[in-house]
Amino acid sequence: MKYSIYPGCSSEGTAISYHHSAVEVAKVLGIELKEIEDWNCCGSTVLSSVTGQFAADVLASRNLALAEKMGQEDVVTTCSSCYAILGNVNKKFADDKFKYNANDALSKDSLSYDGKLKVRMLLDVMVSDLGLEKIAAKVVKPLKGLKVAGYVGCQTVRALREFDNCENPTFLDNVIECLGAEPVDFSHKLKCCTGIMAMTSPEVTISALYPILKSAYEAGADLIVTPCPLCQMNLDAFQIKVNKAYGTKYNIPVLFFTQLMALAYGLDRKAAGLDYCIVSPNNALKQWA
Amino acid sequence: MSEAEAKEKATVKYDSEFTKKVYGMENGKWVKMCMQCGICPTTCALREKMDLSPRRIIQLIRAGRKDEVLKANTMWLCTSCYTCACRCPRGVPMMDVMHDLRHLAVENGIKHNSQSMAEVYEKDVTKRGRIWEGGLTLNYGLKIGLGNAIKMALDMQDVGKGLMLHRRLPLLPPKGVKDPAKLREVLKRATEIAQKEGGH
Repeated sequence: MKYSIYPGCSSEGTAISYHHSAVEVAKVLGIELKEIEDWNCCGSTVLSSVTGQFAADVLASRNLALAEKMGQEDVVTTCSSCYAILGNVNKKFADDKFKYNANDALSKDSLSYDGKLKVRMLLDVMVSDLGLEKIAAKVVKPLKGLKVAGYVGCQTVRALREFDNCENPTFLDNVIECLGAEPVDFSHKLKCCTGIMAMTSPEVTISALYPILKSAYEAGADLIVTPCPLCQMNLDAFQIKVNKAYGTKYNIPVLFFTQLMALAYGLDRKAAGLDYCIVSPNNALKQWA
Repeated sequence: MSEAEAKEKATVKYDSEFTKKVYGMENGKWVKMCMQCGICPTTCALREKMDLSPRRIIQLIRAGRKDEVLKANTMWLCTSCYTCACRCPRGVPMMDVMHDLRHLAVENGIKHNSQSMAEVYEKDVTKRGRIWEGGLTLNYGLKIGLGNAIKMALDMQDVGKGLMLHRRLPLLPPKGVKDPAKLREVLKRATEIAQKEGGH
């Protein structure tokens, strides 16, 4: 199984543990990930308000053009925002006029894109292409007794609606189950963490994070896992802010689902990137790490 | 208040040019598609913090009520969570419409923190093709002015400390793309095409 991987900017910073653990876990699962050479920022949902929609779309499509140059493999990304942007731009290439204009701009970098690739989320590739049985088969240290809140967040299942169910997603919980852990049911698993607003209006973010942490805590979760870099960062780095604002004492570790997979697959804490967690997962995971 | 002034005050200003302008933007066709069913505000993550609901914004665009639309905080509070897009019976990607409105608000001299962040973000992308998350925070601080930056630094001490201690905010920029000048040429050409096509 071969794919082109688009790491995205957060893989070099706030979500470094996601990218590293994903690469390690992919090796175990026999998923071959080839990094798109010379990739650029997808523009996120931020860029278009400065450059306009079309220029932002073209910038994102440069990555698809680069991937196409490498081969016909599906483009896989770990970041839900990159996935939303790249996936939506990819769809626009079905429109001949858009394709013509975008390729006109891309020609300035001697690139063009035909629009034939698929953009996928790593979680989707693991569950849909590989399957739950194979995910479970590689487990050497079952996470028995661990209660996990699978926080799906907003964009992962909603941006393109091409996998799982956007109202009642099960993929993440299924993976948690495969690892031997127990997925808990909590009310805010699909609520938005407000993303990058954490920087510009932190008070809004804190008020959105509180009910997410509260519902995971009340459901008895030992930790939270997510497939999204911004969800992880906000819940992890701002947990201290929520505690100050609401007088709570939440101490819930927040991991990427691939970090949990790495542990269940018997990889060490370095490969799982546990030291990048701000809220320490050491206590919750002491049996396995 | 004179009679003329009172009349002026009581008169709602309709600007049909504004409606046309929004319709002509890249996501303008979606503004026409909305059937005012009201599912977007009921699903919106931050509706209670918005002055006007997304549905009302669309209604006011159609009515040419430029000032009310552009002064609203609605577009700045859209988190692009796609919940409304997912449930909209007409499939309107409301977040894309909101991005167009941010663009228009800025053109009309309205400033917002989110836009300062977007401008810093754009600068980073055009400079090296990739975002340097550590530098983004710093440059955003410089953009919002020294007083605000100091306040933010103090307010965010605990968050920043956590990220730094766990090596989550790189102190040095990433290597970026090989030839950022080419990338800028692509963006420039894209902007020209969009202008020619009558978008932004």
